[in-house]
Amino acid sequence: MIAVGIEGSANKIGVGIIFHPEDGSTPQVLANVRHTYVTPPGEGFLPKDTARHHRAWVVKLVKQALQDARITVKDVDCICYTKGPGMGAPLQSCAIAARMLSLLWGKELVGVNHCVGHIEMGRAITGAQNPVVLYVSGGNTQVIAYSSQRYRIFGETLDIAVGNCLDRFARTLHISNDPAPGYNIEQLAKKGKRLMDLPYTVKGMDISMSGVLAAIDALAVQYGLNGEWNEKEESTGPALEAADGGKPTRADLCFSLQETVYSMLVEITERAMAHVGSKEVLIVGGVGCNERLQEMMGIMARDRGGTVHATDERYCIDNGIMIAQAGLMAYKTGFRTPLKDATCTQRFRTDEVLVKWRD
Amino acid sequence: MDLSRISILEKKTTEFSVPKSIACAMSSSLLETIDLAHLPPSMPVYVALYRDVKNAASLRQQLISGNADFEYAFIDASMVLSRAHALSAVFRAVNDSINGRLKSRNVHSEIVFSFSPANNIAESFRKFGIADSTKDLLVIKVSTTPEITHDSVAAHLSQHVEGSVVPFDDDTLSNIADVTKIKKAYKLGALKTPPPTQPNGTHDDGTKQLELSVLGAIALRGAT
Amino acid sequence: MHTTHEYTPPPLPPPFHHHHQTTPANPPTLLTQGAEAHLYKTHYLSAAHPAALKIRPSKPYRHPILDRRLTRQRILQEARCLAKLVREGVSVPALYAVDWEGQTVTDADTGAERYGGAWLLMEWVEGDVVRVVVREWEGYMLRHFGDDRDVDGHVERKREEDRMKDFLRRIGGAVGKLHAAGVIHGDLTTSNLILRGTNLGVKKEGEGDAVDEGRDGLGHVGLEGEVVLIDFGLAGQSVQDEDRAVDLYVLERAFGSTHPRTEGFFAEVLEGYRASYRGSVSVLKRLEEVRMRGRKKSMLG
Repeated sequence: MIAVGIEGSANKIGVGIIFHPEDGSTPQVLANVRHTYVTPPGEGFLPKDTARHHRAWVVKLVKQALQDARITVKDVDCICYTKGPGMGAPLQSCAIAARMLSLLWGKELVGVNHCVGHIEMGRAITGAQNPVVLYVSGGNTQVIAYSSQRYRIFGETLDIAVGNCLDRFARTLHISNDPAPGYNIEQLAKKGKRLMDLPYTVKGMDISMSGVLAAIDALAVQYGLNGEWNEKEESTGPALEAADGGKPTRADLCFSLQETVYSMLVEITERAMAHVGSKEVLIVGGVGCNERLQEMMGIMARDRGGTVHATDERYCIDNGIMIAQAGLMAYKTGFRTPLKDATCTQRFRTDEVLVKWRD
Repeated sequence: MDLSRISILEKKTTEFSVPKSIACAMSSSLLETIDLAHLPPSMPVYVALYRDVKNAASLRQQLISGNADFEYAFIDASMVLSRAHALSAVFRAVNDSINGRLKSRNVHSEIVFSFSPANNIAESFRKFGIADSTKDLLVIKVSTTPEITHDSVAAHLSQHVEGSVVPFDDDTLSNIADVTKIKKAYKLGALKTPPPTQPNGTHDDGTKQLELSVLGAIALRGAT
Repeated sequence: MHTTHEYTPPPLPPPFHHHHQTTPANPPTLLTQGAEAHLYKTHYLSAAHPAALKIRPSKPYRHPILDRRLTRQRILQEARCLAKLVREGVSVPALYAVDWEGQTVTDADTGAERYGGAWLLMEWVEGDVVRVVVREWEGYMLRHFGDDRDVDGHVERKREEDRMKDFLRRIGGAVGKLHAAGVIHGDLTTSNLILRGTNLGVKKEGEGDAVDEGRDGLGHVGLEGEVVLIDFGLAGQSVQDEDRAVDLYVLERAFGSTHPRTEGFFAEVLEGYRASYRGSVSVLKRLEEVRMRGRKKSMLG
């Protein structure tokens, strides 16, 4: 069976095509294309503009995906699209595209939960059987474990998502959004040395990010590191930071932010692992690409005698193939989204989905 | 709290030549050797409890003058509730010592300091250390070098402490302890006592709670 | 993908690495290994004081400065809560000793020195956890009165239920005293309450079914004794009704998920709470809000 997946819940629009061989062997990715709406440094993406971007790209990407996959419309079994959660306007533009294709091609629709898409793609790519899942992206921060046909949320952020925290700090520092603000923070953090004292808020298996963000933003302002920056000033950085307790650099702030929030994430993941008795971790979502987060998770997992699974940017950053993968799994259990119900929703909790395809 | 004694070694007066003037003090010499759980085996602790001490002022003088022969923790025993109370201060001081965290000159001054719930060393000596007027004295010596043995400590104390040795146990200490003063030193004057309706409650509950509160204060001294 | 290594727990930090013959200290025995801490049974000063040793090991994934800061904060937080509660006369294990500075330990294999984490020694509370007590009682009730809960007028059954209700009121009373002292527990499950002095002879979980020992000759499950609150690893000082209500809610849910036959009596816990804590009215009102909110916690357990 073959499914087309359309994802556009945030600033990326992706189209993927997956093939599940009839003999039940490993699914094959036939196509996975994506385009990102990049805003200038210091600016976030607004729903209206992002939706316009998605509308402008969706047809082009669908055509390219079909071409990459070397299939024709008649090979397609179903159209899968992101029902939520995410930003309203971008979700809508993709839902409309999906409904259009459904009517145009005469194919059934499958509305997919974005988070479940990440989890299923992560499992498919890494082969992790029953991991504790850390789902970290611009809009979500959740620790999830599977139990009786639900992906249950054991812990989550009480305010903003970790990716949102990083993105917003990138805006404070006017760090480039190309290819992604988080990626650029990570590169800058590699040059950081000094750990600044930041709020660390873990409550049981939940975390809070807003205090950390406020504190790091305040430090940036205090040391005049916010706003636009010129290369010359930064190149004199090492001299300034040499003295202990002297002025921190942008790199130090990025370093401190990463060390602090990733420690919080690893801590709640470890707690969930201890709670459910699992030794496997799967990191999904855009922030899951971060190598420092993967490294820290790896040390934690090793000390528990366990393993960490992560995927590269093709799969951990929002993409269409994950929607196709999760959608096709649901489709094979008989799940359909009738046209009149093929809407989208900004709030759609991971645990609302009945995971019929697992035991 | 009832602490089982680990070993009590009694020494007969005849084993030592003792100046006549203080021979009376030796009649019931009890110097206990205690191995505290988890502390290094090379560091046993010697403890003796004296009543009716006659020469507190001169002992204190030796301490003040820094006479190395008198490196002891001299504790005013009226400030000691129980064995567990005293040994908790020892445990804290020795553990801080082996971790290189002494706040005072040596492990013996640190023991006096460790009785205190507050960070002021001079004040801890005023409240818990020997005073000229001290009648009941708890002497503690940690074997910090192999030369410090039960015999060497027993001999030295029998020569220099003029008082009668009594057993270092909770019964004796409860007769000596000035509970009001102790409560005041630990700022536990307002200590609530649990209602007597508690199942299996005994009249000791208040004392027990005081002791456990004191142990907590010793453990947390210096926490910021 | 990172490779899997065989995990060995870190060595005990000083001074607990001395296990010599002349002291009465047997090597501390590892009881549980959670995400946060390792719990050992040992003793304090001498064998006369059985003690629980809680070690918060270093977390090598964290930046060393952050690691020390968090480990220190948390061990101190717990120690402070215990000491305060003992002073306030709340039934908790007494604090014996704490080392918040952390230790440098030498790696046996590499010889490298590293931060070994902080520890806390507290009173050992002998008894069964309430989870086991209630489970045993529920088992007893099932064996003697069957699954028909609607049978009325059975005198013995009523007597048993009254004993349980009294027990639950005492649990509520212990929580009320805790909150009156300005401390919230943070993880108030039936595994974190001990009925002091009981010994049901129940094997630990994973060691097979409970055995029929330790009860009185009639097979009753002992419910008398002092209820002691344990594990203050997530505790903190708070005077917020919200925090207190969440404590009660977590306990309520623990009964709901673990003790189905006793859940119906949970009102008795709240009754005991009401009687022991003057500020209970606003907390119980808040509890209703927390229940309504339900949140994702309703999926836990």
